[in-house]
Amino acid sequence: MTGPAGIASDVHAARPEDFRREVRSFTFWLDSVREYVPSAYGETLPPDDVAKEDRDALVTVLSSYIVGETMALEGAGALVRTAPNREAKIFLATQTADEGRHLEILTQRMNELGAPDIDHAIRTRVNPFLLEFRDRLLELVEAGRWEHALFAQNVILEAMEFAAFCNHMENADPRTRAILEDIVKDERRHIGFGENELGRALARDERLRNELARLRMELDYLVLGSFEHTLSELRIPARERPTVKRSYLDAVARLGFA
Amino acid sequence: MLESSEPPRARFELDDRGFDEVPRKYRKYYRKWLGDGDELAPNEVFCPVCKIVVRSTREIREGDRIYCMACMTRMRVVRGANGQLEGRVEY
Repeated sequence: MTGPAGIASDVHAARPEDFRREVRSFTFWLDSVREYVPSAYGETLPPDDVAKEDRDALVTVLSSYIVGETMALEGAGALVRTAPNREAKIFLATQTADEGRHLEILTQRMNELGAPDIDHAIRTRVNPFLLEFRDRLLELVEAGRWEHALFAQNVILEAMEFAAFCNHMENADPRTRAILEDIVKDERRHIGFGENELGRALARDERLRNELARLRMELDYLVLGSFEHTLSELRIPARERPTVKRSYLDAVARLGFA
Repeated sequence: MLESSEPPRARFELDDRGFDEVPRKYRKYYRKWLGDGDELAPNEVFCPVCKIVVRSTREIREGDRIYCMACMTRMRVVRGANGQLEGRVEY
């Protein structure tokens, strides 16, 4: 049993149920984001120094990120209703807030870069693989298929974003890098939630495992196609792209989908 | 008991390495992975899910349970193919 000091006295000595209750609580989320979310956009960001010739490519990449964050916002918000228990509903409420914040800061970055018409940028710049993935994900959400939607959103989409953002950070201008670093801090929680939630369900349900394996095969084409587009826009050499995709492939492999 | 036949574990005083993704009271248990050239101390394990370093107040050994709060993951420490200790996710 965890003592009066809570699990802070030694995190690794906590009982699994105490750890889980703590990290999925609203208070844990609030105390975490208080540490790094600025009170206003731009407050802690370095100056904007993107070269004129690089702005167009950056707008294209950010357009894809905005599509990803918008679908995650709509998905997480809608999944609150489908989630099978209160703990998961509370976590998804915090994820919804995170995704809304991501959408807002990416929109502000687009505006800074001289692309105020986000819808036009999405129509003309975002790769069709990602748009089809969005449609498929939201179908699963609307159908109320908890495990399937969670797999598509918190495992596949979040792992894809995590890999793309981490790679982009290495070569981004300082202002965009700071924004992506900030977003990735939230993404860690979202990835972990999806993987842990599904890991437990898959351990006791062979039928679900087969269904998600089929879904993974169906979505892989869209995920990998979208990756290729984004990595190409980021000018990542072809020889380095398998390394970036590795993070996504590792996540599904840990769940038994090698 | 098995534990008593093993050499005693080294103890470590954890300092705050500026990991700001968890509440302040838990910061000392985590740090960023610094990439190529970074090395894990005997009280540290790499989190395979979110790619940060998990730290403990004592030397980490095979079979230990550790928690990554950044991605809310529970892990068991195993010896990997390269001989290094690593976290394996438990659901």
